[in-house]
Amino acid sequence: MTDPQKPWIHGRKPGDRRVRVERPHSAFFRYSGPGTLVAREAASAPRTASGRLVERVRHVLFGRRLSIHEEANERLSKKKALAIFSSDPISSSAYATEEILRVLVLAGAAVLLVSLPIAIAVAVLLTVVSLSYRQIVRAYPSGGGDYAVARRNLPRMASLIVAAALLLDYVMTVAVSTASASEQVISAVPDLANFQVGIAVVAIVLITLGNMRGLSESGNIFAVPTYLFVGSALLMIVIGVFRVVVNGESAPPPNPLPGAPAVPEMLGVLLLIRAFASGSVALTGIEAVANGVPAFKPPEPKNAAATLSAVAVILAVLFVGITFVAYSFGIVPIDDPIRRTVISQVAAVIYGDGSIGFYLFQTFTALILFLAANTSYNAFPRLAAILARDGYMPRQFSFRGDRLAFNSGIVVLSIVALVLLVAFGGDTHALIPLYSVGVFVAFTIGQSGMIFHWLREKPQGWQRGLAINLLGCTMTGVVAVVVLIAKAPTSLLVAIVIPIMVVVMLFIHRQYDASAGHLAVRPDAVFPAPRRDERVIVPIPSINRAVVQAVNVGRSIAPDVRAVLISDEPEEAAAIREQWERQVPDVPLVIVESPYRALVGPLLAYLQVLDQTWPEGKEYPVTFVVIPEYVARHWWERILYNQSANRLRRALIGRPHTVVVNVPYRREVEVPESHRGPADS
Amino acid sequence: MPDQKQRVPFRKAVLGLNGGPTDELVVHLGCQLAKSAGNAELVAVHVIEVDWRHELSEELSIENETASALLDMAEGIAEQYKVKLSGDLLQAREVAAALVDEAIEVGADAIIVGLPYRQRFGGDFAIGDAIPYIFQNAPCQVIVVREAVASSAERQTAPDQPELVGARGGR
Repeated sequence: MTDPQKPWIHGRKPGDRRVRVERPHSAFFRYSGPGTLVAREAASAPRTASGRLVERVRHVLFGRRLSIHEEANERLSKKKALAIFSSDPISSSAYATEEILRVLVLAGAAVLLVSLPIAIAVAVLLTVVSLSYRQIVRAYPSGGGDYAVARRNLPRMASLIVAAALLLDYVMTVAVSTASASEQVISAVPDLANFQVGIAVVAIVLITLGNMRGLSESGNIFAVPTYLFVGSALLMIVIGVFRVVVNGESAPPPNPLPGAPAVPEMLGVLLLIRAFASGSVALTGIEAVANGVPAFKPPEPKNAAATLSAVAVILAVLFVGITFVAYSFGIVPIDDPIRRTVISQVAAVIYGDGSIGFYLFQTFTALILFLAANTSYNAFPRLAAILARDGYMPRQFSFRGDRLAFNSGIVVLSIVALVLLVAFGGDTHALIPLYSVGVFVAFTIGQSGMIFHWLREKPQGWQRGLAINLLGCTMTGVVAVVVLIAKAPTSLLVAIVIPIMVVVMLFIHRQYDASAGHLAVRPDAVFPAPRRDERVIVPIPSINRAVVQAVNVGRSIAPDVRAVLISDEPEEAAAIREQWERQVPDVPLVIVESPYRALVGPLLAYLQVLDQTWPEGKEYPVTFVVIPEYVARHWWERILYNQSANRLRRALIGRPHTVVVNVPYRREVEVPESHRGPADS
Repeated sequence: MPDQKQRVPFRKAVLGLNGGPTDELVVHLGCQLAKSAGNAELVAVHVIEVDWRHELSEELSIENETASALLDMAEGIAEQYKVKLSGDLLQAREVAAALVDEAIEVGADAIIVGLPYRQRFGGDFAIGDAIPYIFQNAPCQVIVVREAVASSAERQTAPDQPELVGARGGR
């Protein structure tokens, strides 16, 4: 609009005049096309003092609000992707050896010898699984991993089981990785033993805050700890192997082991299976590359497949290497008097206990474990968002916060991980049985989805892909069952939780489907203005400015307006009627005496009576219940006002043919002099 | 060694936008130069030309929405470059005079305008009236960016040719 106060601006020459045109929208919006506005940051800014205070706190905690255009879409090189995607799988080498040894020590020192063959067997399984995932990477370059494969190739139930298993896997990754990281810290600094759970809790809280600030995984900050851990662990293995093979150094394991219960000397098959099931935790996280194929630089599938192979090779070398060195130096888990992890003992033997090398290695190990926990903060919220978009989780999981992060997913992930962590006392060993089952269920269903993919699509060379996925599916399926049985009874919890999660997802989907069915409009339908009677009911407590304003709003809606006073004091009601008929003569007042002092019930009954008196065969009118409300200026005033109005509103929502209209009265409203009361003088 | 300050193209520049095909080119160029100049500031100006049948201050709502969208486009591009740009919407009888006067008022030391490649009947190159006026009257430096001939040729097939300089309102 042009400014009437400053109509013309004179130019240098006579007759050169111009008018500045105001653009009132420009502070809050930007036109992106005819009739289309894009909100600027200012449009989202809070307008109240308390809102601004909250905003300031949020700003300090989470940083400034980001536009969707500021989303980083950096494509990852293989080197960077290797670091980012490998932190989760590679970090499991920090505790996988220990899990095998914890089972074997129960049978005595002699059986520790089989730890190495078991580690090799797990490495073989890892090879098969990584080869299987290479097929997924190539077949589904758009990413999504097992859930995407299952959704496209298998019945809905299978994809939901995968989704539930993966969600559980991500939660367990956070709990196990932070618990293990905390144990690494304590192994290096035993004085912190009393703070084991506390360290993990603080780590989760910090990672949560970081992710709600929109912490990007693509930063170099995430690549450095991974390479430092891999480098220092490989060096440790090389030195260890050299000392064992060339120098002939080795040490027998202590026997009997401290804290170990007495068990028969015979090594049973069950023990072997249990040890293998425990060691298979090394495979957790190997699916991360398949989930993030689009993040790679082109050609994405080729680079992702190469990265996946590299991750598998590094993980296998670290896992088998650490197991070899641990066995060679007679290292077993120590819980008493203070827990010392196997990997920290290996570092102590190779780098020297208390040396700088030892502390650096422990730092790198803790860092990569924290980093592994962080990868779940990327995967869980994204999967939850996909499920929410598919209608299997509440829609708020698909909404992104001020920093473009899926905040609901992040918060839920943190809460569940914290609960598990505290419930299991931050004990990695106790948590791991819950971890492996879900992972192998997801692996198995993902591989079976790929089998159907090959059989249906039959692209060139499909027989080879089918054979690999068939082998992968069979092996992971067997391991899933083995882990479930071997790790019982804790693992059985997963067998209960996953079906519950699936049932909840199905329930949510049914609800969304039903509401969508109710709300759907036919695309060819045209909606003319309705021809339906309307009436207005204004519930009033007395005569005041808020009531007058509500009555005036009612008058603008329909000519049929009536005020209703629910009162338990007849004398007071009579006085109000006298005043009402004098001051608002054209709006009838109905007084409903309520000897039982109820407010909502009599009003609802009155509305029902009105409906019952409506002529039969004629469509019911729309009843507008116009509720006057006094707007509290401060947050603490809210408890003083509008409680009855709130109750009334809650009772009316869902009533057929009824529309609730709130008419807020603000103190700032200018009042004509003739309407003013004694308080204004 | 040459003085770095002398090489700064401008401290404040007016971008003349006309709703034509060169607008984006002008804004991108302005932003690139402003970024290279450090904290240089841009003022995107669009002048709605009001003919004599209408009051100069008459509200031309349809024109204003189109013009606002144009300035908003410029602001959007500047945000990508992280360059400070403000939009200025004017109504005037003469586009070029208003642009020069506005540049003087805001203290701009450069005006950047675009020139589509067009030919009169007979094949002569047409520069229009506005740019010669700016050349003759602007006290600051003037940067004219002419679109590539290829862009012009591509546009020949498209309907609704935009105006050369200045949107003409009040018709």
